[in-house]
Amino acid sequence: MRLPPFQYLEPATVEEALSIIGTHKETVKIMAGGTDLLNRMKLRLIEPAFVMNISKLRNMDGIDIGDTETVIGANTRLKEIAGAPLVNKRFRAIAEAAFQVASPTITNMATIGGNILQNTRCMYYDQSGIVLNGLERCHKRGGILCLAVKGSKRCFSVYQGDMAPALRAFDARCVLEKKGSTRTVSITELFTGNGVTPFAIGADELLTKIIIPKPEGICGSAYRKLRLRGSVDYPLASAAAFVSVTDDRKVTTCRVVIGAAGAAPKVIDGASCEADLEGIAQKAYEHAEGVDNLLMPGAYRRKMVSVLAKRAIKAAIDGIKEGM
Amino acid sequence: MNEMKKTAITLNVNNETYDIVAYPNRTLLEVIRDDLHLTGTKESCGQGVCGSCTVLVDGTPVRSCLTLAVAVQGKEITTIEGISLGEKLHPVQEAFVNHHAIQCGFCSPGMILTSYALLKENPRPTEAAIRRAISGNICRCTGYAKIVEAVKSLAEEEK
Repeated sequence: MRLPPFQYLEPATVEEALSIIGTHKETVKIMAGGTDLLNRMKLRLIEPAFVMNISKLRNMDGIDIGDTETVIGANTRLKEIAGAPLVNKRFRAIAEAAFQVASPTITNMATIGGNILQNTRCMYYDQSGIVLNGLERCHKRGGILCLAVKGSKRCFSVYQGDMAPALRAFDARCVLEKKGSTRTVSITELFTGNGVTPFAIGADELLTKIIIPKPEGICGSAYRKLRLRGSVDYPLASAAAFVSVTDDRKVTTCRVVIGAAGAAPKVIDGASCEADLEGIAQKAYEHAEGVDNLLMPGAYRRKMVSVLAKRAIKAAIDGIKEGM
Repeated sequence: MNEMKKTAITLNVNNETYDIVAYPNRTLLEVIRDDLHLTGTKESCGQGVCGSCTVLVDGTPVRSCLTLAVAVQGKEITTIEGISLGEKLHPVQEAFVNHHAIQCGFCSPGMILTSYALLKENPRPTEAAIRRAISGNICRCTGYAKIVEAVKSLAEEEK
């Protein structure tokens, strides 16, 4: 498939990039690794007038592990995150999520920023024009109906990013810059929860870095996902778990974030962990949306969210035991 | 329809410099095949799933179907044509031949370049590491056992 026409822009500095998006706003699309954007353009889901390549902006790259927080540049390749020994040690769920994105060759190209900001997906939307021409216009294509849930007044497209649930488990924040100002938002605030326009970001804003606070106490984490082919596919259900304990092994935090179960990652918080594994699993199931709009049946995906929640918590606890 | 202007693109492919004039929406894959006539690199899915368009950019395997040619100027690009020494096959290519790791050959350029990059990074990969490395390259006829054997033979030879 060929790409639609566009004008190519390659800013040399972040300031220049901010100036470009400040001027062109919605007409410019930002390309980092390109693995998600170019596919959407090939399908003609988007046909931006300008494509701005930010992959050469070096000061948006790299992992800086500090005493109080860790900063990951938005341009950092997923392979680097998956392979970083200290990320594996301190933020295992984040390394595991990066390791499980698509295939190794894709993670050589794809960045953490691009992974976080990937659009929601649905089998009635992510198709070529040949297929879409035969379908009625759904909410995500500016229509007034949902093809996945008949009669629905809203869009049920699914957020299938792997990094955001894992980052949310660690309470990570995103730095959004625009010309003249910078703001920091939590992963939760980054999402609207609306499948049509999943992100609460201005067209003139650029995600430049992700900040992960140092977790308190002794902790473990894990990320588990379901996919059709172990080597390439998007998650069809996923769960990230973060568990922290006191010195005498009392659980202080047990947080599960479920993914591929709605238009945004969802937090299942405040459970007392090992003692109530079934309770968390049930809560995860209740919060998960399981609609028949991806490769596996919605009912099965929803059940798997709860299974993966349990597996992720168990793996996080095993991680703590290993470290003790 | 959006406006688009042709632009001068300079690429370093297999240690040769190519100057072309092309639209910015041309992928590296299209330029390599259609402009440089290096047809060893294959197009299959065009979506970054199958791995048949794999080339090396600064030694790292990437999907040339999801890479803009204009974006990889100044980088060292290696295609399957670039790893052999003239008529003499590269050891990875020889291993694929010797282990019958080639049937129709369509995935082979990508498989070989991915394996080549793996062995450069890790000369003695375990079988698990080999399987992981080639997991983004899909073969529809040979099957993976022979390919893994071929790469393993090189890992063992290095001992």
